[in-house]
Amino acid sequence: MTRPVTIDTITEKMKEFGTVEQVRKNRIRVKTVPDKIHDAITTSQEVLGFDRLITISTIDNGETFELLYHLIGSHRIIISLAIDLPRDKPVTPTTSDLLPPAGIYERQIHDLFGITFTGHPDLKKIILNEDWPGNEYPLRKDWKPNPGEFYGGIKVERI
Amino acid sequence: MTDPLFILFYIFIFPGFFFLFGYALFLSYLDRKIAARMQQRVGPPFFQPLADLIKMLGKEVINPDGVDWRVFDAIPVVALAAVMTAFLYVPVIGASPLAFQGDLVVVLYLMALPTIALFLLGWLSRNIFSAIGGVRAVTQLFIYEVPFFLALLTPAIMAGSWSISAIVLWQQHNLWLVFLQPIGFIVALVGLQAKLERTPFDIPEAETEIVAGPWTELTGRRLALMHLTTEISLVVGSALIAALFLGGPLLPWTLSPPWLNPAAGFCLFLLKTLAVLLVLSSITVATGRLRIDQLNVIGWKYLASAALVQVGIVLVINYLWVTP
Amino acid sequence: MPEVVVPIGPHHPALKEPVNFRVIADGEKIVRLELDLSYNHRGIEKAAEQRNFIRVLPLLERVCGICSHSHATVFAKGIEEIMGIAIPPRAQYIRTIIAELERMHSHLLWLGIAAHEIGFNTLFMWTWRDREAVQDTLEEMSGNRVHYGMNEIGGVRCDLTPAQVGAALLRLPNLEERIKKYMDILNSEDTLLIRFRGVGRMSKEEALKYGAVGPTARASGVDYDVRRDDPYLAYAEIPWNVITDTRGDVYGRTRVRIGELRESLQIVRYCLENIPGGPIRIDAPKNAPKGEILSRYEAPRGEVAHYIRTNGTDKVERVDIRSPTLANWTSVAMCLVNQNLADIPVIVAAIDPCLSCTCRMVVVNQKDSTNGTDRTNVGIAPDPGDRRNRGRP
Repeated sequence: MTRPVTIDTITEKMKEFGTVEQVRKNRIRVKTVPDKIHDAITTSQEVLGFDRLITISTIDNGETFELLYHLIGSHRIIISLAIDLPRDKPVTPTTSDLLPPAGIYERQIHDLFGITFTGHPDLKKIILNEDWPGNEYPLRKDWKPNPGEFYGGIKVERI
Repeated sequence: MTDPLFILFYIFIFPGFFFLFGYALFLSYLDRKIAARMQQRVGPPFFQPLADLIKMLGKEVINPDGVDWRVFDAIPVVALAAVMTAFLYVPVIGASPLAFQGDLVVVLYLMALPTIALFLLGWLSRNIFSAIGGVRAVTQLFIYEVPFFLALLTPAIMAGSWSISAIVLWQQHNLWLVFLQPIGFIVALVGLQAKLERTPFDIPEAETEIVAGPWTELTGRRLALMHLTTEISLVVGSALIAALFLGGPLLPWTLSPPWLNPAAGFCLFLLKTLAVLLVLSSITVATGRLRIDQLNVIGWKYLASAALVQVGIVLVINYLWVTP
Repeated sequence: MPEVVVPIGPHHPALKEPVNFRVIADGEKIVRLELDLSYNHRGIEKAAEQRNFIRVLPLLERVCGICSHSHATVFAKGIEEIMGIAIPPRAQYIRTIIAELERMHSHLLWLGIAAHEIGFNTLFMWTWRDREAVQDTLEEMSGNRVHYGMNEIGGVRCDLTPAQVGAALLRLPNLEERIKKYMDILNSEDTLLIRFRGVGRMSKEEALKYGAVGPTARASGVDYDVRRDDPYLAYAEIPWNVITDTRGDVYGRTRVRIGELRESLQIVRYCLENIPGGPIRIDAPKNAPKGEILSRYEAPRGEVAHYIRTNGTDKVERVDIRSPTLANWTSVAMCLVNQNLADIPVIVAAIDPCLSCTCRMVVVNQKDSTNGTDRTNVGIAPDPGDRRNRGRP
């Protein structure tokens, strides 16, 4: 960082990716689209000094899935980059090449929500059992277990 | 002294197998109790090792798939037989009636058999943890055997005999060898700790790394016999060190009623082996476990060179003082 | 020996909780690592969506046994911020005291486990005996040794009587001496030094790149601590220091944790001596307004982040838990390559893994009438097709 980074500089820089709002004293929320997320993260890392990924959160909003990338830097400001994915086609490019910890979070999200991250090196099951039935994504709002199926060794007798 | 009935009594009852069995359990109890008190715990009651043995003998024996169960049954018995035989040549109440020139070498050989047995068990278990443990056991054997043998060789050189009983007799007329060969004594103690596979050298059995190493697939009476082998090795090892360095069961003077000599010798034997056990227990409690490559460095750099230095000193002393 | 797969887990004496490391080893050197974390999943995140705020706090506490207060507090703190209520200062202090006592007991537990992993059972016995003093204090204050249940939306559940405060203050000097002694042991005991030094080294850039948190990162010189960066509870008013180290290996992590033990003790002492009077809770509204928040907290193992979204009812719409151990797994996988097989337990233990925090995925929670909830508690239920279970529903 050649000059101190403040909330205003971040707000200015992030405006080119989407709408920016300051939600709390040191939190900034940026709403952007999946195509621009790569550039947004690269800008945050290189220009604005965000060097750590806190987590990737996912929410099921009914018609869309919302993904939030939370980043933090040594200036103690947290930026949350939000993207919306349509429910019938939840595909987005992976960010694990820019942020290595994203690898584990994306695997978990893929298991639980069914969002596919293109370009991820190894998107296999991490948090569900190996014999979990294929296309069931438990944390979606509309998921109900099928009676008669085995889920991690437990069989559901009736709903 | 060569009365066959006396020999049979010596071998089987006292101070042979029966006494050995009881004394091994007693020393095992003491070892655990000392360790517990040092760790501010209560420790086991007196009959715990006997209770453990009886319990393990009664447990079910499980044969893993594809393992040759006959060899598995035989190996602990062979190991136990080896160490029990080794005890017969160690002086307990005076010179052993079975002593002969070269019994020191026989004892050392017999005491190395349990480690080979562990390696075989590890290799035959068809289990990755046991295989790694077995390989570690043999690696450790290579590392510590050289300094251990050298350290036990120097009393033989100084006493001019290969029989343990003769070395003990030599110490009765001269000084205890621990004063003449302190370096050798320390190397022998460390080597004994490594032979018995106790912390810091319990690498083959590292519980937190490879489950139980070669002991993993032992169950029931096989485990009981191997465990008993370890406990008896402790007795034989301590008795060997007590005999070679601390003067064994002989007083520097003879007492007037002739029957008092063996009795006093026996008490001395008990005292000296208990002292060795105290030192070994303290080392066990006060340290953590080494890695096998670190043991490699320590063994060859420090132990082996110390042992060689000791051999050199003894040869010089022998040349200057013994051969005038 | 050629390359072999050594399965560390799911059942292994080195692990306190099930996780599957498949280690591909060449002799004693590790070549590669494959990770499988699914063994402790229960049903927390989805179950939390169906419980109102009073019922969800005990559920979130049971994410983990050792850092139970962390999860409950971070959630309560987030909901209170969404609702816009400020809890009374006495409640802040009580939450801080319990939080720091929890950090102390967790670090003492960790010290014992790390010593046990290298076979140094004496230190294990000693630290766990001193941990009993902390557990006694916690039991006097909250009624339980783990899962204290002190939090409510709006404050804490029960107050500290002067007798409890006095008894706790009396236990502190002895603990302080023991902690000093452990630092001396760490500095001088040869087998500890030889097993911990240089093992699992991670540089500052690697720690940042792989997202390490907590004492694992602070031992590599990464100066992040949520208590100082984003002050919450009473930390802004108490004088305390962040402990960092530059070594980055297991020895550095041990030093950081023992240093944090010392600091926690000072914080507890300050809070107990300066606790303000007043009420311990205020009435919180039943429903939370619509909103979202990323709530962070410094648990003993690192930074816990809860992302909470509410929708105007008395239940949350989504709580997304990111526990510190999940963030540290990538760094473990990276620094285990090219180390010795014998160092796996030491390196894994050095991040203080808490697998209950790590995997809390959804499990079918349909309780049938005869069986209550016992099947769903652990996620490792007996196979209904197993012939031993014939006759059971």
